[in-house]
Amino acid sequence: MGFWLELAASGLITGGIYAVVAIGLNLQYGLMRIMNISHGEFLMLGAYLTWLAHTTLKINPILLLPVVAIAMFLLGVVVYRLCFRRIARAAPTVEVIEARSLLVGFGLMFLVQNTVNLIWGADLRGYSFMAEPVDIGGARFMANRLLVFGFAVAASLGLLALLRWTMIGKAVRAMMQSPTGAQLVGVDTGTLHPVVFGAGLALAGVAGGLLSMVYEISPSMGEPYTVTALIVITLGGLGSAIGSLLGGFLLGLVEAFGMHFTNPSLKMVLSYGVLVAVLVARPKGLFAR
Amino acid sequence: MNRSTPIRGIAVALTAAAVLAPAMPASAQDIRIGYAIARSGPWAVGAQVTQEPNYVMWAEQVNAAGGLNVGGKKRKVELVAYDDRSNMETVVRTYEKLMTSDKVDLILPPWGTGANFAIMPLAAKHGYPMLSCTAAGRKLIGMKNPYFFALLQQPDVIMDALAEYMVARKVKTAAVIHVDELFGLEMYTGLEASMKRKGIQIVEKKSYPLGIKDLSPVLKGMQAKKPDAFIGLTYPPGTFLSTGQSKAIGFSPKIFYLAVATAFPVYRDKMTPATVEGVMGIGSWNPKTGAEAKAYFDAHVKRWKKEPDRWASAHCWAGLQILQAAVEKVGLDRKKIRDYIAGTEHATIIGKMRFKGSENVSTPGVVSQWQNGEFEVVWPPQRATSAALFPKPDWK
Repeated sequence: MGFWLELAASGLITGGIYAVVAIGLNLQYGLMRIMNISHGEFLMLGAYLTWLAHTTLKINPILLLPVVAIAMFLLGVVVYRLCFRRIARAAPTVEVIEARSLLVGFGLMFLVQNTVNLIWGADLRGYSFMAEPVDIGGARFMANRLLVFGFAVAASLGLLALLRWTMIGKAVRAMMQSPTGAQLVGVDTGTLHPVVFGAGLALAGVAGGLLSMVYEISPSMGEPYTVTALIVITLGGLGSAIGSLLGGFLLGLVEAFGMHFTNPSLKMVLSYGVLVAVLVARPKGLFAR
Repeated sequence: MNRSTPIRGIAVALTAAAVLAPAMPASAQDIRIGYAIARSGPWAVGAQVTQEPNYVMWAEQVNAAGGLNVGGKKRKVELVAYDDRSNMETVVRTYEKLMTSDKVDLILPPWGTGANFAIMPLAAKHGYPMLSCTAAGRKLIGMKNPYFFALLQQPDVIMDALAEYMVARKVKTAAVIHVDELFGLEMYTGLEASMKRKGIQIVEKKSYPLGIKDLSPVLKGMQAKKPDAFIGLTYPPGTFLSTGQSKAIGFSPKIFYLAVATAFPVYRDKMTPATVEGVMGIGSWNPKTGAEAKAYFDAHVKRWKKEPDRWASAHCWAGLQILQAAVEKVGLDRKKIRDYIAGTEHATIIGKMRFKGSENVSTPGVVSQWQNGEFEVVWPPQRATSAALFPKPDWK
């Protein structure tokens, strides 16, 4: 593989990591307008659950991902019931949902972070998994990063198909466009809302589990991921599954090439530069309809 | 697996103290020692490995022996501790409170170069000696603050040791990355001067921000230039990232050197001992450097169920040893304690230590290297616990 192709591939793989981080929040904020600012904390919780089960029970972390997903889904339904149901019901407009859920999200952020801190301490943790180089056409990539990339593509396409071609997907989209209208045509919003929120948390947890294979983990790891996720879903267009994936890829590519030609210290300038440029050209994001 | 952690231990210790308080009232005779440190937020990773476990263990050991001997009378130590939440403002406000409102007898320093720098003026204003074990930088030494003592080796000293090792191995070229923080900049300034003096060419230099998730474009560029040495003046995330990604692309120069967290046991555990074999970094000590160091290591593992790091942890313990000796020698008069620290050659677990101004001028720069799961001291030769692996073996 030529140097440029290799650079592009490494950009795409990093972009896949960004997309994985964003998928869960895209469901919650993109589709339901619940600004779950504690997204990164639930990702961190998923990472800790995977780490804990892998290091104590010696279970293959890939096999743990469905377990983490189910546990986080159930937690999501409970969190929704306790924190967000009233907000979603009582708020007169989606703007009010955004504002109120943001405040609740901040509270959850501190709660989850400090709970993990109390249980496992502030130390860095980690384990080695699939940390072997894989040769693809002469270029070498870490196997665990390729796994994250594969999951990003599969999950994004799966979500796209679900939202576009199934009744559930149509119901979710209808609920977002007009909650009252959706109820009138028989969509059970009372069930669908917590389920979509729970699915968002499940995806955050799986993303955390995947990232724990690649990076070291600590209770404070979540916040930067929330910011990344917000940039990616804004870039791709709120609620667009394919937008998140391509938004992540775009960021990854710009950073890889930008870092090669300039300096990694300019990473933030490059990422925000792309975001500003896209928002100027298409204020609702790349794939918003 | 035992999941006892410092935070939990500290919480239990503090709760126990609170519960026992009515039975054993905190005597007016107790020596109150205050500090603010990160138990949450991004600094906690370093602070809870290197610093606070040592503070708590020291206080427990002192109290188990009956307390500190002040003017012939044993007095127990009471720690007055706050979480600074990795927030600079909180650090400054908390130390101000400790010094003016809580009126503690002594203070212990916060974590990190920036936080120590921020409270230096307070220490001078209120006359509290600071024995800082996680602050490095000529800027801090240059402030000529009479109450500030830096226990770590300074960046130029650390980098000189590396340069000397490189010259001894006839290394001619190096590629360098550094983190865009005060630490990385200070270290790079030191490195650049050392390399120039020793005639080693820096073929490429790049800086990177703390939150970076991919360094492979940079590492590939450096690999193409075939340097003899790769030097990463990194913080923990960059240390892990550049190790993993260099392994992925097969970038294995003769010397592979990284900075903060290379000496952390979790670095070896996360990356695996086979992977880190031959990786070099900043160190000072390990359980083999002396009987006292071994005793400290064993006590730490017993108390916290985890190993101390092989660089600043021992400097932190040395600071506590110095403070203890000072109090037992001159009492609790802080001016006298300061004068004692400044004018004495101290015996510590990392060897004799003497200060010139704020600088520890006794502890030399040390290069350490992971070999079979231990961070062996390999340079300077008179301190070495093992011969260096050179060139670094290929990644496994």
